[in-house]
Amino acid sequence: MVNKKNIKVLTKKVSVFYGDKQAIKDVNLEIFENQVTSLIGPSGCGKSTFLRCINRMNDTIDICRITGKVLIDNDDIYKATLDPVLLRARVGMVFQKPNPFPKSIFDNVAYGPQIHGLTNSKEELEDLVVRSLQKAGLFNEVKDRMNEPGTSLSGGQQQRLCIARAIAVSPEIILMDEPCSALDPIATAVIEELIDELMQNYTIVIVTHSMQQAARVSQQTAYFHMGNLIEFGETSKIFQNPKNKQTQDYITGRIG
Amino acid sequence: MNKNTRIIAKSLKKRNRSESTFRLMGLLGIISAISFLVIILFSIINEGKKAFVSTQIKLDIFFDSKILDPGNSGKITEIENANYQTLIKASLLNFFPDVKTRNDQRDLLSMISSSEQENLMRTLTNDISLMNTKKEFWLKSSSKYDVINKNPEMIDFAEEDRLISNQQLFWFNELKKDNRVKFGFNKIFFTAADSTEPEQAGIWGSVMGSFFTLFVTLLLSFPIAVAAGVFLEELAPKNRFTHFIEVNINNLAAVPSIIFGLLGLAIFLNVMHLPRSAPLVGGMVLALMTLPTIIIATRASLKAVPPSIREAAIGMGATKMQTVTHHVLPLSMPGISTGTIIGMSQALGESAPLLMIGMVAFIVDVPESFLDSSTVLPVQIYLWKSTAARGFVELTAAGVLVLLTFLILMNSFAVIIRKKFEKKW
Repeated sequence: MVNKKNIKVLTKKVSVFYGDKQAIKDVNLEIFENQVTSLIGPSGCGKSTFLRCINRMNDTIDICRITGKVLIDNDDIYKATLDPVLLRARVGMVFQKPNPFPKSIFDNVAYGPQIHGLTNSKEELEDLVVRSLQKAGLFNEVKDRMNEPGTSLSGGQQQRLCIARAIAVSPEIILMDEPCSALDPIATAVIEELIDELMQNYTIVIVTHSMQQAARVSQQTAYFHMGNLIEFGETSKIFQNPKNKQTQDYITGRIG
Repeated sequence: MNKNTRIIAKSLKKRNRSESTFRLMGLLGIISAISFLVIILFSIINEGKKAFVSTQIKLDIFFDSKILDPGNSGKITEIENANYQTLIKASLLNFFPDVKTRNDQRDLLSMISSSEQENLMRTLTNDISLMNTKKEFWLKSSSKYDVINKNPEMIDFAEEDRLISNQQLFWFNELKKDNRVKFGFNKIFFTAADSTEPEQAGIWGSVMGSFFTLFVTLLLSFPIAVAAGVFLEELAPKNRFTHFIEVNINNLAAVPSIIFGLLGLAIFLNVMHLPRSAPLVGGMVLALMTLPTIIIATRASLKAVPPSIREAAIGMGATKMQTVTHHVLPLSMPGISTGTIIGMSQALGESAPLLMIGMVAFIVDVPESFLDSSTVLPVQIYLWKSTAARGFVELTAAGVLVLLTFLILMNSFAVIIRKKFEKKW
């Protein structure tokens, strides 16, 4: 099954340094197209840092330095000729804390298409916004109040609004940095269902603290510890039959 | 009760006492501050309100063509240049027929403000049919009478300590008995510029001077300061050089304002040869002074925008500049405008740097452009305060009231903006 999948993202000996401190050590990882890959591990293990390498969000931190290669569709995303703006249109991101812009629900979703000039008319834009909200499973809840501020929604709705905002520019990959950590179990369940649906069209990488969540939503799981990739493989195998002692200790709750 | 409880209970009394002492001291501090404020405001309002009215005297003026146009030419220029003082004198002598000597007549005439001659001329030239008719006028009294009328306790002063002689006081009282004296709205105060005669001096010239000056200040300091703040906070790399600039901007905010005046004198006047006493130069000097205030406010409000908004925009593929102009800057605008208004009201109350570039001159005309010689509100107040004539005391207080009104208006505007556009995260 795995072999039939295309490799979407490939990292070769990726190391990340914050000043003198090394946060990630020589990580080699394959992320498959149209699958959900979850990154798990104790706090400070570097899984979020690794996630942010894939859309070069770490560039915004002055002291951050990256070595090694990150390839998307066999193309190095850190080469000098590649504009990070273009990359971030291909690789969307959903953050830990829902962060809708303090603008209307419509404007939140329309922002990406507007700055990239993806639509030619107002009707086209409205259509795109509606479709994005539908894909994010939010349209029915907000269709009567598109002009209300995005910040007036509940936490779970805000997070789905952020997902709608991300998919409005039709990215190939969606990165999710603990998208449910600020949500209650019901809102979490809705988002997890959504991730299952989104998988058909997008490649998803999700950082999560909840091992149950990783087990529920992902096909591949990577376990990080102290900046090292300890174990990577099919989720079922990692959880049922981990090869590494550290992984076993973590998923059985002995550490972390 | 165990041992510890007893120890605590013992010390509790002392701890509570020190708390109530502290509370009392704080309360005393606030009460004394408020009472000083009330005293100051009360005395200024009490003095200043007198300048908003002026003493007016009712006279019947006969536009005598024998005086105004002896050649009967009918020419407007002839009528404009005629001697209107004679009309006022004739009217007064009509009321006091037994004033004969030249000196007494001059003393009598000094009761009416000399500015009224021009007003009579204007009235007549606007309506020439008034010629050879009699009309009732409320004429402004001169400042001395005005002061006596507003401060009745001065009537009991000895003659040599009083502004007007016994004879003059008698005439004034006669007019009063005949219901020919009243207080009217002092329009001149709100329409004229400075004058050597207190009853002819107004605040409008310096209000316009302040307006032109602050306009230049706002135009220069706001865009430069916001650009500098955005650059330092959002775009500049955090290195030693930018840190050095930051420290220096913070230090500039604490530089005594007169230094900026000296800088303006040296560069704007002596090197660039810009006009002296002009609002343009005053505005430039005040802009230098206001820049650090707005830069600091800009940076503080940029810092207050949560980083999650920047991440959201950058994650969507917005460029750095788009992130700033679409999200960060609009969100920090309430803070920036508040800081700007505070900076502007600081500049409005500033006088020292303007003294250096000659805005302390005696200006009789209301300025009409950025290059006209002019003065500003606080300097006008300073000028009136240092003038000897008694009539300027009320004007000084009234000037302070006008300045305070503008300051309160601007600061309340800042509070309203802050309250209205405050974002809740």
